[in-house]
Amino acid sequence: MTVLTVALKYLRGRLVASALTSLSVALGISLVIASVLLSRGIQQGFIEGTTDYSLLVGAKGSPTQLVLNVVFRMDLPTPNISYSTYQDLQNDPRVEVAVPVAMGDAYQGFRYVATTADYFAPFQWRRKTFAIADGRFFRADAREQPAYEAVLGADAARRTGLRVGDRFHEGEEMAEYPLTVVGILRSTNSADDRTIFFSLATYWEMNEVSRKMKIKPLTAVLVRPKRMSDLPGLHRGLNVVVETQGVFPSAVLLNIFNILSMVDEVVAIMLAAVILVVLLYLFVSMYSATLERKREIATMRALGARRATILEIVLLESCALTVIGGALGIAGGHGVAYVGASMLAGRAGPVGNLFVVGSLEPVVFGGAIALGALAGLLPAVLAYRTEVAENLAPLS
Amino acid sequence: MRAALAAVGLAVCSQLAHGDEIPRLTFAQLVDSIRANFEVTQTIKSYNGKEVEIQGFIIPAGPPDLSFFLLSRVSAMGNYCCEVPVGQDETVYVYAPKGTKILYDPLRVYKVRGAFEAGLHTDRTYGVSLYRLRDARVEEAAGAKIFKDR
Repeated sequence: MTVLTVALKYLRGRLVASALTSLSVALGISLVIASVLLSRGIQQGFIEGTTDYSLLVGAKGSPTQLVLNVVFRMDLPTPNISYSTYQDLQNDPRVEVAVPVAMGDAYQGFRYVATTADYFAPFQWRRKTFAIADGRFFRADAREQPAYEAVLGADAARRTGLRVGDRFHEGEEMAEYPLTVVGILRSTNSADDRTIFFSLATYWEMNEVSRKMKIKPLTAVLVRPKRMSDLPGLHRGLNVVVETQGVFPSAVLLNIFNILSMVDEVVAIMLAAVILVVLLYLFVSMYSATLERKREIATMRALGARRATILEIVLLESCALTVIGGALGIAGGHGVAYVGASMLAGRAGPVGNLFVVGSLEPVVFGGAIALGALAGLLPAVLAYRTEVAENLAPLS
Repeated sequence: MRAALAAVGLAVCSQLAHGDEIPRLTFAQLVDSIRANFEVTQTIKSYNGKEVEIQGFIIPAGPPDLSFFLLSRVSAMGNYCCEVPVGQDETVYVYAPKGTKILYDPLRVYKVRGAFEAGLHTDRTYGVSLYRLRDARVEEAAGAKIFKDR
Protein backbone atom coordinates (compact mmCIF):
# COMPACT_ATOMS: atom_id res chain seq x y z
CA MET A 1 0.00 0.00 0.00
CA THR A 2 1.53 3.31 -1.07
CA VAL A 3 1.51 6.52 0.95
CA LEU A 4 -0.95 8.05 -1.52
CA THR A 5 -3.36 5.10 -1.18
CA VAL A 6 -3.33 5.51 2.60
CA ALA A 7 -3.96 9.26 2.28
CA LEU A 8 -6.90 8.65 -0.08
CA LYS A 9 -8.28 5.97 2.24
CA TYR A 10 -8.18 8.48 5.07
CA LEU A 11 -10.12 10.95 2.90
CA ARG A 12 -12.75 8.33 2.07
CA GLY A 13 -12.93 7.44 5.75
CA ARG A 14 -14.37 10.87 6.52
CA LEU A 15 -16.16 11.41 3.25
CA VAL A 16 -18.60 14.14 4.32
CA ALA A 17 -15.95 16.24 6.04
CA SER A 18 -13.55 15.79 3.09
CA ALA A 19 -16.26 16.68 0.55
CA LEU A 20 -17.22 19.81 2.49
CA THR A 21 -13.59 20.90 2.82
CA SER A 22 -12.99 20.37 -0.91
CA LEU A 23 -16.19 22.27 -1.65
CA SER A 24 -15.07 25.25 0.41
CA VAL A 25 -11.73 25.24 -1.43
CA ALA A 26 -13.63 24.99 -4.73
CA LEU A 27 -15.86 27.95 -3.83
CA GLY A 28 -12.85 30.10 -2.89
CA ILE A 29 -10.97 29.17 -6.08
CA SER A 30 -14.04 29.69 -8.29
CA LEU A 31 -14.48 33.19 -6.83
CA VAL A 32 -10.87 34.03 -7.69
CA ILE A 33 -11.11 32.56 -11.20
CA ALA A 34 -14.49 34.15 -11.99
CA SER A 35 -13.53 37.63 -10.80
CA VAL A 36 -10.19 37.60 -12.64
CA LEU A 37 -11.77 36.25 -15.85
CA LEU A 38 -14.62 38.74 -15.78
CA SER A 39 -12.39 41.71 -15.01
CA ARG A 40 -10.00 40.69 -17.80
CA GLY A 41 -12.91 39.92 -20.14
CA ILE A 42 -14.54 43.33 -19.65
CA GLN A 43 -11.24 45.11 -20.32
CA GLN A 44 -10.61 42.91 -23.36
CA GLY A 45 -14.17 43.59 -24.56
CA PHE A 46 -13.48 47.32 -24.52
CA ILE A 47 -10.16 46.84 -26.32
CA GLU A 48 -11.60 44.57 -29.02
CA GLY A 49 -14.79 46.56 -29.44
CA THR A 50 -13.23 49.99 -29.76
CA THR A 51 -13.12 52.00 -32.95
CA ASP A 52 -10.22 52.06 -35.41
CA TYR A 53 -10.56 55.84 -35.66
CA SER A 54 -8.09 57.82 -33.56
CA LEU A 55 -10.28 60.85 -32.92
CA LEU A 56 -13.93 61.29 -32.12
CA VAL A 57 -15.55 64.68 -32.55
CA GLY A 58 -18.77 65.58 -30.77
CA ALA A 59 -20.54 68.33 -28.90
CA LYS A 60 -19.03 69.80 -25.74
CA GLY A 61 -19.79 67.63 -22.73
CA SER A 62 -18.58 64.39 -21.26
CA PRO A 63 -15.90 62.61 -23.34
CA THR A 64 -16.85 59.34 -21.65
CA GLN A 65 -20.50 59.73 -22.63
CA LEU A 66 -19.46 60.50 -26.20
CA VAL A 67 -17.25 57.40 -26.50
CA LEU A 68 -19.63 55.06 -24.67
CA ASN A 69 -22.54 56.16 -26.82
CA VAL A 70 -20.94 56.46 -30.24
CA VAL A 71 -18.50 53.55 -30.00
CA PHE A 72 -20.18 51.16 -27.56
CA ARG A 73 -23.88 52.13 -27.99
CA MET A 74 -24.23 52.65 -24.25
CA ASP A 75 -25.47 55.71 -22.36
CA LEU A 76 -27.43 58.52 -24.05
CA PRO A 77 -26.23 60.50 -27.07
CA THR A 78 -24.42 63.78 -26.47
CA PRO A 79 -26.07 66.93 -27.92
CA ASN A 80 -25.91 67.47 -31.67
CA ILE A 81 -23.19 69.11 -33.70
CA SER A 82 -23.88 70.62 -37.10
CA TYR A 83 -23.22 68.89 -40.39
CA SER A 84 -20.81 71.71 -41.26
CA THR A 85 -18.37 70.37 -38.63
CA TYR A 86 -18.17 67.19 -40.70
CA GLN A 87 -17.74 69.17 -43.92
CA ASP A 88 -14.95 71.25 -42.36
CA LEU A 89 -13.16 68.09 -41.25
CA GLN A 90 -13.61 66.52 -44.67
CA ASN A 91 -11.95 69.56 -46.23
CA ASP A 92 -9.15 69.70 -43.66
CA PRO A 93 -5.88 68.72 -45.44
CA ARG A 94 -4.75 66.86 -42.31
CA VAL A 95 -7.75 64.51 -42.39
CA GLU A 96 -7.70 61.28 -44.39
CA VAL A 97 -11.21 60.06 -43.57
CA ALA A 98 -14.08 61.67 -41.67
CA VAL A 99 -17.20 59.61 -41.03
CA PRO A 100 -20.41 61.29 -39.87
CA VAL A 101 -22.51 59.48 -37.28
CA ALA A 102 -25.98 60.36 -36.00
CA MET A 103 -27.35 58.40 -33.08
CA GLY A 104 -31.08 57.78 -33.21
CA ASP A 105 -33.64 55.96 -31.12
CA ALA A 106 -33.89 52.19 -31.09
CA TYR A 107 -35.94 49.21 -32.24
CA GLN A 108 -36.48 46.65 -29.47
CA GLY A 109 -33.49 48.18 -27.70
CA PHE A 110 -31.16 48.01 -30.71
CA ARG A 111 -29.82 51.49 -31.39
CA TYR A 112 -30.33 53.30 -34.68
CA VAL A 113 -27.09 54.67 -36.17
CA ALA A 114 -27.20 56.83 -39.28
CA THR A 115 -23.97 57.08 -41.23
CA THR A 116 -22.40 56.83 -44.69
CA ALA A 117 -20.77 53.96 -46.60
CA ASP A 118 -17.38 55.08 -45.24
CA TYR A 119 -18.34 53.61 -41.87
CA PHE A 120 -18.10 50.13 -43.40
CA ALA A 121 -15.20 50.80 -45.81
CA PRO A 122 -12.20 48.45 -45.64
CA PHE A 123 -9.36 50.96 -45.28
CA GLN A 124 -5.85 49.56 -45.20
CA TRP A 125 -5.34 50.59 -41.58
CA ARG A 126 -8.56 49.09 -40.25
CA ARG A 127 -8.60 46.08 -37.97
CA LYS A 128 -12.34 45.68 -38.17
CA THR A 129 -13.92 44.39 -41.36
CA PHE A 130 -17.58 44.61 -42.25
CA ALA A 131 -19.11 42.01 -44.51
CA ILE A 132 -22.69 41.38 -45.55
CA ALA A 133 -24.08 37.99 -44.53
CA ASP A 134 -27.34 38.49 -46.40
CA GLY A 135 -28.63 41.20 -48.76
CA ARG A 136 -26.63 44.40 -49.37
CA PHE A 137 -25.60 47.72 -47.77
CA PHE A 138 -28.13 50.59 -47.78
CA ARG A 139 -28.09 52.94 -50.79
CA ALA A 140 -26.39 56.34 -50.71
CA ASP A 141 -29.72 58.15 -51.03
CA ALA A 142 -30.22 61.82 -51.79
CA ARG A 143 -31.29 64.12 -48.97
CA GLU A 144 -34.62 64.82 -50.68
CA GLN A 145 -35.34 61.16 -51.43
CA PRO A 146 -34.54 59.00 -48.40
CA ALA A 147 -34.68 55.27 -49.11
CA TYR A 148 -35.58 54.13 -45.56
CA GLU A 149 -33.29 51.14 -46.01
CA ALA A 150 -31.76 49.50 -42.95
CA VAL A 151 -28.79 47.18 -42.43
CA LEU A 152 -28.86 45.13 -39.23
CA GLY A 153 -25.95 43.99 -37.10
CA ALA A 154 -25.73 40.23 -36.55
CA ASP A 155 -27.15 40.24 -33.00
CA ALA A 156 -29.86 42.78 -33.84
CA ALA A 157 -31.06 40.56 -36.70
CA ARG A 158 -30.90 37.36 -34.65
CA ARG A 159 -32.69 38.75 -31.61
CA THR A 160 -35.38 40.75 -33.40
CA GLY A 161 -36.00 37.98 -35.94
CA LEU A 162 -35.99 40.54 -38.76
CA ARG A 163 -34.97 39.30 -42.20
CA VAL A 164 -34.12 40.94 -45.50
CA GLY A 165 -37.30 42.42 -46.94
CA ASP A 166 -39.05 42.89 -43.58
CA ARG A 167 -40.45 46.32 -42.72
CA PHE A 168 -40.40 47.61 -39.16
CA HIS A 169 -40.84 50.66 -36.95
CA GLU A 170 -40.95 51.28 -33.21
CA GLY A 171 -43.90 53.15 -31.76
CA GLU A 172 -46.95 54.46 -33.57
CA GLU A 173 -45.27 57.83 -34.14
CA MET A 174 -42.83 56.18 -36.54
CA ALA A 175 -45.45 54.15 -38.42
CA GLU A 176 -45.29 56.79 -41.12
CA TYR A 177 -41.61 56.04 -41.71
CA PRO A 178 -41.15 52.26 -41.68
CA LEU A 179 -37.66 50.96 -42.42
CA THR A 180 -37.01 48.07 -44.79
CA VAL A 181 -34.26 45.56 -44.00
CA VAL A 182 -31.95 45.35 -47.02
CA GLY A 183 -28.96 43.67 -45.42
CA ILE A 184 -27.64 41.80 -42.42
CA LEU A 185 -24.00 42.10 -41.36
CA ARG A 186 -21.65 39.34 -40.31
CA SER A 187 -20.65 39.47 -36.68
CA THR A 188 -17.83 41.91 -35.85
CA ASN A 189 -17.67 41.09 -32.11
CA SER A 190 -18.39 44.70 -31.31
CA ALA A 191 -21.32 46.99 -30.51
CA ASP A 192 -22.02 47.19 -34.26
CA ASP A 193 -23.55 43.71 -33.94
CA ARG A 194 -26.28 45.25 -31.80
CA THR A 195 -26.97 48.17 -34.14
CA ILE A 196 -29.44 49.06 -36.89
CA PHE A 197 -27.74 51.20 -39.55
CA PHE A 198 -29.32 53.46 -42.16
CA SER A 199 -28.45 56.54 -44.18
CA LEU A 200 -28.25 60.12 -42.90
CA ALA A 201 -30.98 61.19 -45.35
CA THR A 202 -33.31 58.60 -43.83
CA TYR A 203 -32.40 59.74 -40.31
CA TRP A 204 -33.03 63.42 -41.03
CA GLU A 205 -36.38 62.71 -42.67
CA MET A 206 -37.56 60.40 -39.88
CA ASN A 207 -36.71 63.00 -37.24
CA GLU A 208 -39.38 65.70 -36.96
CA VAL A 209 -36.93 68.34 -35.70
CA SER A 210 -34.11 67.72 -38.16
CA ARG A 211 -36.60 67.59 -41.06
CA LYS A 212 -37.14 71.32 -40.62
CA MET A 213 -33.48 72.21 -39.98
CA LYS A 214 -31.51 73.89 -42.71
CA ILE A 215 -28.12 72.77 -41.42
CA LYS A 216 -28.63 69.14 -40.55
CA PRO A 217 -27.54 67.68 -37.20
CA LEU A 218 -25.04 64.92 -36.38
CA THR A 219 -23.99 63.34 -33.11
CA ALA A 220 -20.32 62.81 -33.91
CA VAL A 221 -17.64 62.51 -36.55
CA LEU A 222 -15.03 59.74 -36.57
CA VAL A 223 -11.69 61.05 -37.79
CA ARG A 224 -8.60 59.38 -39.18
CA PRO A 225 -5.71 61.80 -39.80
CA LYS A 226 -3.31 61.45 -42.72
CA ARG A 227 -0.41 61.57 -40.26
CA MET A 228 -0.72 60.56 -36.63
CA SER A 229 1.54 63.46 -35.72
CA ASP A 230 -1.27 65.80 -36.80
CA LEU A 231 -3.58 64.39 -34.13
CA PRO A 232 -2.51 66.72 -31.27
CA GLY A 233 -3.10 69.77 -33.48
CA LEU A 234 -6.48 68.50 -34.70
CA HIS A 235 -7.48 67.62 -31.15
CA ARG A 236 -6.48 71.01 -29.81
CA GLY A 237 -8.27 72.87 -32.63
CA LEU A 238 -11.52 71.03 -31.95
CA ASN A 239 -11.33 71.67 -28.21
CA VAL A 240 -10.51 75.36 -28.13
CA VAL A 241 -13.71 76.26 -30.02
CA VAL A 242 -16.99 76.44 -28.10
CA GLU A 243 -19.09 74.06 -30.22
CA THR A 244 -17.08 70.85 -30.34
CA GLN A 245 -14.79 68.56 -28.41
CA GLY A 246 -12.19 66.21 -29.82
CA VAL A 247 -11.71 62.99 -27.90
CA PHE A 248 -9.15 60.21 -28.18
CA PRO A 249 -11.33 57.11 -27.65
CA SER A 250 -8.36 55.21 -26.21
CA ALA A 251 -7.73 57.94 -23.64
CA VAL A 252 -11.31 57.60 -22.38
CA LEU A 253 -10.99 53.81 -22.24
CA LEU A 254 -7.70 54.06 -20.36
CA ASN A 255 -9.46 56.27 -17.80
CA ILE A 256 -12.19 53.63 -17.49
CA PHE A 257 -9.45 50.99 -17.02
CA ASN A 258 -7.94 53.16 -14.26
CA ILE A 259 -11.28 53.08 -12.43
CA LEU A 260 -11.64 49.33 -13.05
CA SER A 261 -8.16 48.75 -11.63
CA MET A 262 -9.23 50.45 -8.39
CA VAL A 263 -12.23 48.11 -8.23
CA ASP A 264 -9.88 45.20 -8.96
CA GLU A 265 -7.72 46.17 -6.00
CA VAL A 266 -10.75 46.17 -3.66
CA VAL A 267 -11.87 42.81 -5.07
CA ALA A 268 -8.32 41.45 -4.59
CA ILE A 269 -8.43 42.38 -0.89
CA MET A 270 -11.81 40.67 -0.51
CA LEU A 271 -10.54 37.59 -2.35
CA ALA A 272 -7.47 37.46 -0.11
CA ALA A 273 -9.82 37.41 2.90
CA VAL A 274 -11.84 34.59 1.32
CA ILE A 275 -8.66 32.58 0.66
CA LEU A 276 -7.56 33.12 4.26
CA VAL A 277 -10.91 31.80 5.54
CA VAL A 278 -10.61 28.75 3.25
CA LEU A 279 -7.06 28.18 4.47
CA LEU A 280 -8.20 28.34 8.10
CA TYR A 281 -11.10 25.96 7.39
CA LEU A 282 -8.72 23.51 5.73
CA PHE A 283 -6.31 23.77 8.63
CA VAL A 284 -9.04 23.17 11.24
CA SER A 285 -10.33 20.20 9.23
CA MET A 286 -6.88 18.60 8.96
CA TYR A 287 -5.98 19.40 12.56
CA SER A 288 -9.12 17.81 14.02
CA ALA A 289 -8.72 14.79 11.72
CA THR A 290 -5.15 14.31 12.97
CA LEU A 291 -6.21 14.60 16.61
CA GLU A 292 -8.94 12.00 16.04
CA ARG A 293 -6.44 9.71 14.39
CA LYS A 294 -3.66 9.74 16.94
CA ARG A 295 -4.29 6.14 17.95
CA GLU A 296 -4.24 4.93 14.34
CA ILE A 297 -1.03 6.82 13.72
CA ALA A 298 0.53 5.28 16.84
CA THR A 299 -0.53 1.82 15.58
CA MET A 300 1.06 2.48 12.20
CA ARG A 301 4.21 3.66 13.89
CA ALA A 302 4.21 0.52 16.09
CA LEU A 303 3.91 -1.61 12.96
CA GLY A 304 7.05 0.00 11.53
CA ALA A 305 5.91 3.15 9.71
CA ARG A 306 8.54 5.87 9.82
CA ARG A 307 7.78 9.35 11.16
CA ALA A 308 8.50 10.81 7.71
CA THR A 309 5.90 8.47 6.18
CA ILE A 310 3.25 9.72 8.63
CA LEU A 311 4.19 13.32 7.78
CA GLU A 312 3.88 12.53 4.07
CA ILE A 313 0.44 10.91 4.49
CA VAL A 314 -1.04 13.96 6.26
CA LEU A 315 0.51 16.39 3.79
CA LEU A 316 -0.74 14.33 0.83
CA GLU A 317 -4.22 14.18 2.35
CA SER A 318 -4.30 17.96 2.72
CA CYS A 319 -2.94 18.49 -0.79
CA ALA A 320 -5.44 15.98 -2.24
CA LEU A 321 -8.27 18.06 -0.78
CA THR A 322 -6.96 21.18 -2.51
CA VAL A 323 -6.28 19.32 -5.78
CA ILE A 324 -9.92 18.19 -5.90
CA GLY A 325 -11.18 21.60 -4.70
CA GLY A 326 -8.82 23.44 -7.07
CA ALA A 327 -9.95 21.46 -10.12
CA LEU A 328 -13.61 21.91 -9.21
CA GLY A 329 -13.03 25.58 -8.45
CA ILE A 330 -11.33 26.27 -11.79
CA ALA A 331 -14.18 24.56 -13.66
CA GLY A 332 -16.80 26.29 -11.50
CA GLY A 333 -15.07 29.68 -11.86
CA HIS A 334 -15.20 29.37 -15.64
CA GLY A 335 -18.88 28.46 -15.38
CA VAL A 336 -19.65 31.48 -13.17
CA ALA A 337 -17.62 33.75 -15.49
CA TYR A 338 -19.51 32.40 -18.50
CA VAL A 339 -22.88 33.08 -16.87
CA GLY A 340 -21.70 36.56 -15.78
CA ALA A 341 -20.43 37.34 -19.28
CA SER A 342 -23.70 36.19 -20.83
CA MET A 343 -25.63 38.47 -18.46
CA LEU A 344 -23.34 41.39 -19.29
CA ALA A 345 -23.60 40.75 -23.01
CA GLY A 346 -27.38 40.65 -22.65
CA ARG A 347 -27.20 44.13 -21.13
CA ALA A 348 -25.00 45.37 -24.00
CA GLY A 349 -21.83 45.25 -21.92
CA PRO A 350 -18.57 44.63 -23.80
CA VAL A 351 -17.02 41.30 -22.84
CA GLY A 352 -14.08 39.74 -24.66
CA ASN A 353 -13.19 36.07 -24.96
CA LEU A 354 -12.94 34.74 -21.40
CA PHE A 355 -11.44 31.40 -22.24
CA VAL A 356 -8.04 32.34 -23.58
CA VAL A 357 -5.45 29.84 -22.40
CA GLY A 358 -3.11 31.67 -20.08
CA SER A 359 -1.09 31.34 -16.93
CA LEU A 360 -4.05 32.04 -14.62
CA GLU A 361 -5.33 28.49 -14.22
CA PRO A 362 -1.93 26.76 -13.68
CA VAL A 363 -0.90 29.50 -11.24
CA VAL A 364 -4.17 29.24 -9.27
CA PHE A 365 -4.00 25.45 -9.29
CA GLY A 366 -0.37 25.47 -8.11
CA GLY A 367 -1.28 28.07 -5.49
CA ALA A 368 -4.13 25.88 -4.24
CA ILE A 369 -1.79 22.92 -3.82
CA ALA A 370 0.73 25.13 -2.01
CA LEU A 371 -2.08 26.32 0.28
CA GLY A 372 -3.01 22.70 0.90
CA ALA A 373 0.56 21.92 1.88
CA LEU A 374 0.67 24.99 4.13
CA ALA A 375 -2.61 24.18 5.86
CA GLY A 376 -1.54 20.56 6.34
CA LEU A 377 1.91 21.40 7.66
CA LEU A 378 1.08 21.85 11.35
CA PRO A 379 -1.26 18.79 11.53
CA ALA A 380 1.47 16.82 9.70
CA VAL A 381 4.07 17.88 12.26
CA LEU A 382 1.61 16.95 15.01
CA ALA A 383 1.21 13.51 13.45
CA TYR A 384 4.98 13.26 12.96
CA ARG A 385 5.52 13.86 16.68
CA THR A 386 2.87 11.38 17.83
CA GLU A 387 4.37 9.16 20.51
CA VAL A 388 3.56 5.45 20.23
CA ALA A 389 3.62 4.70 23.94
CA GLU A 390 1.32 7.58 24.88
CA ASN A 391 -1.30 6.88 22.24
CA LEU A 392 -1.43 3.10 22.30
CA ALA A 393 -2.46 2.94 25.94
CA PRO A 394 -5.59 0.80 26.56
CA LEU A 395 -8.82 2.71 25.99
CA SER A 396 -10.32 1.62 29.31
CA MET B 1 49.98 46.83 -4.98
CA ARG B 2 46.70 47.02 -3.08
CA ALA B 3 46.16 50.59 -4.33
CA ALA B 4 46.78 49.49 -7.94
CA LEU B 5 44.24 46.64 -7.62
CA ALA B 6 41.67 49.03 -6.15
CA ALA B 7 42.22 51.45 -9.04
CA VAL B 8 41.73 48.65 -11.61
CA GLY B 9 38.58 47.47 -9.81
CA LEU B 10 37.17 50.98 -9.74
CA ALA B 11 37.88 51.45 -13.43
CA VAL B 12 36.11 48.16 -14.30
CA CYS B 13 33.09 49.07 -12.15
CA SER B 14 32.77 52.51 -13.68
CA GLN B 15 33.01 50.97 -17.17
CA LEU B 16 30.16 48.58 -16.32
CA ALA B 17 28.05 51.35 -14.88
CA HIS B 18 28.71 53.48 -17.93
CA GLY B 19 27.93 50.52 -20.21
CA ASP B 20 24.55 49.99 -18.51
CA GLU B 21 23.48 53.58 -18.99
CA ILE B 22 20.83 54.18 -21.62
CA PRO B 23 21.24 57.44 -23.51
CA ARG B 24 18.41 59.88 -23.11
CA LEU B 25 17.19 61.87 -26.08
CA THR B 26 15.16 65.04 -25.62
CA PHE B 27 12.54 66.53 -27.91
CA ALA B 28 14.79 69.58 -28.29
CA GLN B 29 17.53 67.31 -29.69
CA LEU B 30 15.05 65.65 -32.05
CA VAL B 31 13.72 68.96 -33.36
CA ASP B 32 17.23 70.42 -33.69
CA SER B 33 18.40 67.41 -35.65
CA ILE B 34 16.15 68.20 -38.60
CA ARG B 35 17.81 69.99 -41.47
CA ALA B 36 16.09 72.18 -44.01
CA ASN B 37 15.71 69.24 -46.39
CA PHE B 38 13.98 67.18 -43.67
CA GLU B 39 17.02 64.96 -43.32
CA VAL B 40 17.98 63.80 -39.86
CA THR B 41 21.54 64.59 -38.73
CA GLN B 42 24.10 61.83 -38.49
CA THR B 43 24.39 62.36 -34.73
CA ILE B 44 20.77 61.40 -34.18
CA LYS B 45 20.98 58.67 -36.81
CA SER B 46 23.88 57.16 -34.88
CA TYR B 47 21.33 56.11 -32.25
CA ASN B 48 19.47 53.98 -34.81
CA GLY B 49 18.81 50.51 -33.44
CA LYS B 50 20.15 51.43 -30.01
CA GLU B 51 18.09 51.53 -26.88
CA VAL B 52 17.34 55.08 -25.82
CA GLU B 53 15.13 56.80 -23.28
CA ILE B 54 12.74 59.59 -24.18
CA GLN B 55 10.52 61.35 -21.69
CA GLY B 56 7.19 62.81 -22.72
CA PHE B 57 3.42 62.82 -22.49
CA ILE B 58 1.52 59.81 -23.80
CA ILE B 59 -1.10 60.50 -26.46
CA PRO B 60 -3.11 57.28 -26.92
CA ALA B 61 -3.56 57.56 -30.68
CA GLY B 62 -3.67 53.79 -31.17
CA PRO B 63 -5.65 51.04 -29.44
CA PRO B 64 -6.24 51.22 -25.67
CA ASP B 65 -3.82 48.36 -25.02
CA LEU B 66 -1.13 50.95 -25.82
CA SER B 67 0.56 48.74 -28.38
CA PHE B 68 0.98 52.03 -30.24
CA PHE B 69 0.96 55.57 -28.92
CA LEU B 70 2.47 58.96 -29.56
CA LEU B 71 5.01 60.47 -27.21
CA SER B 72 4.87 64.24 -27.17
CA ARG B 73 6.73 67.03 -25.42
CA VAL B 74 3.37 68.64 -24.58
CA SER B 75 0.23 67.05 -23.18
CA ALA B 76 -2.56 66.95 -25.74
CA MET B 77 -5.08 67.39 -22.96
CA GLY B 78 -5.16 69.46 -19.83
CA ASN B 79 -5.37 73.22 -19.59
CA TYR B 80 -3.57 73.95 -22.84
CA CYS B 81 -0.53 75.64 -21.37
CA CYS B 82 1.63 75.35 -24.44
CA GLU B 83 1.58 75.14 -28.19
CA VAL B 84 0.88 71.58 -29.33
CA PRO B 85 3.44 69.78 -31.45
CA VAL B 86 2.70 70.28 -35.12
CA GLY B 87 5.53 68.57 -36.95
CA GLN B 88 6.61 64.97 -37.19
CA ASP B 89 9.91 65.91 -35.56
CA GLU B 90 8.03 66.85 -32.39
CA THR B 91 6.29 63.52 -31.94
CA VAL B 92 7.75 60.06 -31.42
CA TYR B 93 5.76 57.04 -32.63
CA VAL B 94 6.01 54.36 -29.95
CA TYR B 95 5.40 50.68 -30.67
CA ALA B 96 5.08 48.67 -27.47
CA PRO B 97 4.45 44.97 -26.99
CA LYS B 98 0.75 44.29 -26.50
CA GLY B 99 -0.30 44.56 -22.94
CA THR B 100 1.64 47.59 -21.80
CA LYS B 101 -0.44 48.32 -18.75
CA ILE B 102 -0.14 51.61 -16.96
CA LEU B 103 -2.30 53.82 -14.83
CA TYR B 104 -2.70 56.36 -17.59
CA ASP B 105 -2.54 60.02 -16.75
CA PRO B 106 -2.58 62.46 -19.69
CA LEU B 107 -0.90 65.13 -17.56
CA ARG B 108 2.08 63.06 -16.48
CA VAL B 109 5.50 62.71 -18.09
CA TYR B 110 6.43 59.09 -18.70
CA LYS B 111 9.87 57.65 -19.21
CA VAL B 112 9.80 55.41 -22.27
CA ARG B 113 12.64 53.19 -23.42
CA GLY B 114 12.97 51.30 -26.65
CA ALA B 115 14.98 50.72 -29.80
CA PHE B 116 15.31 54.08 -31.55
CA GLU B 117 14.74 54.64 -35.25
CA ALA B 118 15.23 57.93 -37.11
CA GLY B 119 14.26 58.67 -40.70
CA LEU B 120 11.07 58.69 -42.72
CA HIS B 121 9.19 55.42 -42.58
CA THR B 122 5.68 54.45 -43.64
CA ASP B 123 3.76 52.03 -41.49
CA ARG B 124 0.74 50.22 -42.95
CA THR B 125 -1.44 51.08 -39.97
CA TYR B 126 -0.03 54.28 -38.55
CA GLY B 127 1.33 56.03 -41.65
CA VAL B 128 4.45 58.15 -42.05
CA SER B 129 6.71 58.89 -39.12
CA LEU B 130 10.12 60.41 -38.56
CA TYR B 131 11.08 59.10 -35.12
CA ARG B 132 10.09 55.76 -33.65
CA LEU B 133 10.69 53.65 -30.57
CA ARG B 134 10.27 49.92 -31.16
CA ASP B 135 9.79 47.22 -28.51
CA ALA B 136 9.23 50.07 -26.14
CA ARG B 137 8.32 49.87 -22.49
CA VAL B 138 6.99 52.51 -20.22
CA GLU B 139 9.54 52.62 -17.43
CA GLU B 140 8.08 54.98 -14.92
CA ALA B 141 6.30 58.16 -14.16
CA ALA B 142 6.88 59.99 -10.92
CA GLY B 143 4.37 58.75 -8.35
CA ALA B 144 2.45 56.57 -10.79
CA LYS B 145 2.03 52.85 -10.48
CA ILE B 146 3.40 50.88 -13.42
CA PHE B 147 2.19 47.32 -13.97
CA LYS B 148 4.65 45.03 -15.67
CA ASP B 149 3.08 41.70 -14.93
CA ARG B 150 1.02 41.10 -18.03
